[in-house]
Amino acid sequence: MPDISAWFNDLLSGNLIFTATTMGYYWTGLVTTTQLVFLSLVIGLVLAVPLAILRSSKRKWISLPVYLFTYVFRGTPLLVQLYIIYYGVVFFDGIQESVFWPIFREAFYPALIAFTLNTAAYTTEIFRGAIKATAKGEIEAARAYGMSQGLMMRRIIIPSAFRRALPAYGNEVIFMLHASAIASVVTLMDLTGAARYVYSRFYTPFEPFLFVALIYLCLTFAILFFFRFLEKKLLAHLKPQTP
Amino acid sequence: MAATPLEVRNIKKRFGDTEVLKGLSLEAQKGDVITLIGASGSGKSTFLRCMNLLEQPDEGEIILHGDTIRFKETRHGREPADWKQVVQMRAKLSMVFQNFNLWAHMTLLQNIIEAPIHVLGKSRKEATDHAHALLERVGLTARANAYPAQMSGGQQQRGAIARALAMDPEVMLFDEPTSALDPELVGDVLKVMRDLANEGRTMVVVTHEMSFARDVSSKVIYLHQGLVEEAGTPDEVLGNPQSPRLKQFLTPNY
Repeated sequence: MPDISAWFNDLLSGNLIFTATTMGYYWTGLVTTTQLVFLSLVIGLVLAVPLAILRSSKRKWISLPVYLFTYVFRGTPLLVQLYIIYYGVVFFDGIQESVFWPIFREAFYPALIAFTLNTAAYTTEIFRGAIKATAKGEIEAARAYGMSQGLMMRRIIIPSAFRRALPAYGNEVIFMLHASAIASVVTLMDLTGAARYVYSRFYTPFEPFLFVALIYLCLTFAILFFFRFLEKKLLAHLKPQTP
Repeated sequence: MAATPLEVRNIKKRFGDTEVLKGLSLEAQKGDVITLIGASGSGKSTFLRCMNLLEQPDEGEIILHGDTIRFKETRHGREPADWKQVVQMRAKLSMVFQNFNLWAHMTLLQNIIEAPIHVLGKSRKEATDHAHALLERVGLTARANAYPAQMSGGQQQRGAIARALAMDPEVMLFDEPTSALDPELVGDVLKVMRDLANEGRTMVVVTHEMSFARDVSSKVIYLHQGLVEEAGTPDEVLGNPQSPRLKQFLTPNY
């Protein structure tokens, strides 16, 4: 696409900091950040739903291990978790010879694992709270109408808990986006990493960091917008009706 | 002779050290409307909740159409031996609650078709058609797509009755269906219940509405401290009470 790059070069001509090259860095950073956050959120969510169900179990030996997991991952800094996974992975015997090494050599996958486990822990607790808050009467009605435990979970408790959890989960998504900035400390070229790189080239803090701050703001806005849309659709039952 | 739709024998239930049900029995023949009356704490709601095992009775038998619910002893006390059997039994006994207990995240229509589709295995089309007929009958056609929070208490309770009817129940259990309602909304709900009684529905009703008990029921049971104090036709129990306690219970104290 020669047209666009010519237009870009024209636009940025005479500007040393915002050049097509640095834009390329930011673009790579945006892609990395988006992939990292999106993947960890999706996998974390998939893990969190069954974990939250187990966490809500009345049987201690089921709920306690999940509680320990969420306690550890919520009780320690994400950065420390990232360091442990990123620097610790080489100490597993045979990992360097295994087929996984090309994957784990990259900073991306350790970061993905750390972020996924972290968000899974927080999301589990968000869902557990929402599951626990399910109205007693609604559960009783489900039992009285012949629903089995599984059916009741699937049709009544999870859908209603999911809706209750939505606003808090929206916060968690924004939190993860911003927390992903620390991926840059393990050499990952995410948005913040790109800004750091540009900063180290030109020693100008404001241009690169303000620019990525702006991108983070836009991403946050998109997330807020998405969740507002979801809430409008899914939380309709809480709104008083205007006839 | 057709088997009795619902028969319970010698139900006993204790919460901790207090024995709240001390051996209660009841037999609902087809078309019977049995009302349970009594002061608060007499055990009438607990008795009703034992019938569909929302509470586990410590002793006693529950028999649906000659089919006895099987129990087993566990460390935690008595439990149903076969939950499948319980689920099937509950599908035949639909319950209407004091606080309606509609599922808040579903519209009224979704509330009504939920159990028929997912418990009884009806098709969506069949369940929806039935639901619309029921909504018309309880006078809520216009509210089909409203959420419970958007409806008045009386509308919610009539919706809950429609939900109960959608199961084609053999026996309907009503747990103080009008107690949470504003006085001006009670009439609509009672009217729906009277219509159900008149068309020959088998019902067990826990209520404080003496006029309903007098006019509609085929049998009235007065409970006191977990025991049947008096039982019989409305004329016998309400018209000619024998025990001093029932006499006092029936005397308006204002």
